[in-house]
Amino acid sequence: MTTKQLSPEIEARIQQLWPRFPPQNAAKALCIPVLFLAQQQFGLVDDEVVDLVAERLSLPAAHVKGTATFYTMFNKQPVGRFHLQVCTNIACQITGAYDVFDRCKKRLGVDNHGTTEDDSVTLTEVECLAACGYGPVAQIAERGGPEIPLYFENLDLERIDKILDALAEGRVPTEFGS
Amino acid sequence: MGWFDLKIISRHFDVPEAKDLEYYEKHGGYGAARRAMKTDPAAITAEVKASNLRGRGGAGFPTGIKWGFVPKGAETVYLVVNADESEPGTFKDRHILWWNPHALIEGMIIASRALGVRNAYIYIRGEMLREHPVLQRALDQAYAKGYLGERCFGSDMALDITIYRGAGAYICGEETALLSSLEGGRGWPRLKPPFPAVKGLWGQPTIVNNVETLANLPWILDNGGQAFADLGVGRSGGLRIVSVCGHVNRPGVYELPLTVTGRQLIEEVCGGMRGGRKVKGVIPGGVSMPLLSERELDVPFEFDALQTDERIQEVEVSPGVKFDLGGGKTLRSMAGSGGVVVMDEKTDMVSACWRILHFFADESCGQCTPCREGTGWLVKVVKRIDQGQGRPGDIDLVASIADGIAGNTICALGDAAAWPTLAFLTKFRGEFEAKIRSSTFVAQQRAAAEAAAVSMGATPDATAAAAAVGQGAS
Repeated sequence: MTTKQLSPEIEARIQQLWPRFPPQNAAKALCIPVLFLAQQQFGLVDDEVVDLVAERLSLPAAHVKGTATFYTMFNKQPVGRFHLQVCTNIACQITGAYDVFDRCKKRLGVDNHGTTEDDSVTLTEVECLAACGYGPVAQIAERGGPEIPLYFENLDLERIDKILDALAEGRVPTEFGS
Repeated sequence: MGWFDLKIISRHFDVPEAKDLEYYEKHGGYGAARRAMKTDPAAITAEVKASNLRGRGGAGFPTGIKWGFVPKGAETVYLVVNADESEPGTFKDRHILWWNPHALIEGMIIASRALGVRNAYIYIRGEMLREHPVLQRALDQAYAKGYLGERCFGSDMALDITIYRGAGAYICGEETALLSSLEGGRGWPRLKPPFPAVKGLWGQPTIVNNVETLANLPWILDNGGQAFADLGVGRSGGLRIVSVCGHVNRPGVYELPLTVTGRQLIEEVCGGMRGGRKVKGVIPGGVSMPLLSERELDVPFEFDALQTDERIQEVEVSPGVKFDLGGGKTLRSMAGSGGVVVMDEKTDMVSACWRILHFFADESCGQCTPCREGTGWLVKVVKRIDQGQGRPGDIDLVASIADGIAGNTICALGDAAAWPTLAFLTKFRGEFEAKIRSSTFVAQQRAAAEAAAVSMGATPDATAAAAAVGQGAS
């Protein structure tokens, strides 16, 4: 049995969203929104979190786990305080994304999906972020904090170095975001 | 007026206040929705049919005709907005959501009136962290004004709009996968028919429309369907928002007439190529669409022209053997999502092809074997060619895998991986061959063959056989 509990904020949000769906379909429809909220609370979606969500929505745990594992935005493993996500898809690739990504790997000393030893930064290569005109592009999420609604665009080695410097200092360099 | 002075959706792009209801309304916004409350729903649909508006998500299906598929007398009809823009090279809907969210909301009110919708949903891409709050705020403003809710504009029409956030799956841009996701499960596409217009969300008739498609509706109602049709060409009405990226001087989002050609787009709209380099290839509508070579850029980037214009080479399975799109139809290219990727002469086409395939292999939902396995094989083989490990016969192997996926899957993701692959091979075969000729694998085979020939006592025949290994690129 888990000692984890969904926060009162999540409960309130469930109450708010429930009437937006047909009564007989609401529980299932809320699976993804509640997984998002639970991830915000716990930092990841592991089996324990899956069970919590399943229990609250009266859904089979298998369904919740099947759903959680289908989508890339649910972190099945713990991520560092900062989650640096670099796009390398075609438009970013042809404007130098792999140079940027390699610089990140080298400076952080991790591979794709790796987390630095001090648990501060997780690096992930991601697919298209729909900002193709301004590639290479990255996004940064901060654990516990609100998600940062910023894109870091037109990256080159100089800019990514400055971003990595800021992360090493323990802050998101919002001045480079747009 | 110059030929691209007129703007419909992008009129207020780059005006920060345009996100506010007040600004939007001051510039004529919500007038069409207000009038729609007093208009016969059938008349709205007729206007949309007359406008020749075609779906801006990728398929280009006529919107009015899609609406017409909803069974007469259906009790519950849902409207779902596809804001899950994730086709690489495409970033136009994100701009609309950010700069002009009220145009989408107004379009949704109009569509809901026409279709008799009580509950509508906006399925927004999970990664759009920046746009989500902007859209939510716009919705809150519309609710506060009484444009949404129990009595829209004081009429007896009730409409609730709910934002539903995706969680990172390209496939959810496919309309039936989107519905599976919105119902709260894996984003698995469903077999069509039944089409969503007949049996969609929770088994009810559902219209899934793209953001740009719906954002055009206020203008259509304000100016008439015919005026919109007149802006376009042939069976395609209106303007089109294209997003251009890659090696051009001014990448960005532009609202343009459908008659604009690839060359005009690059030279006149985007200020030419970076560093004055030459164009090598252009993807006209997101990476799913067969790319064009430099010679094919004088064709308008319009739905029908890209499919039928004979200046565009037909995609082949092998030299001289045309790919069969079904029913003997051949494949040239398509306008897709309006995401244009421009590649200059220095671009490594094998590497670009590999990266695109890597994406599709990553995003295959796993339901259909040809796509799940095939995209994985494609990426493996193209990767080894790209990394100098290619083998003689690899090009034919890639083509046969792609041909085996196309048309054999529930949804279009399989085709979306197969078509560009075959187009790369058709138009840039030489680059693949060159990489195989110079590959380590071939060099080793040649060395081994030569060593064997020497040990057997070199004859002219054996030397020729050894050389042939090196030449046998495909």
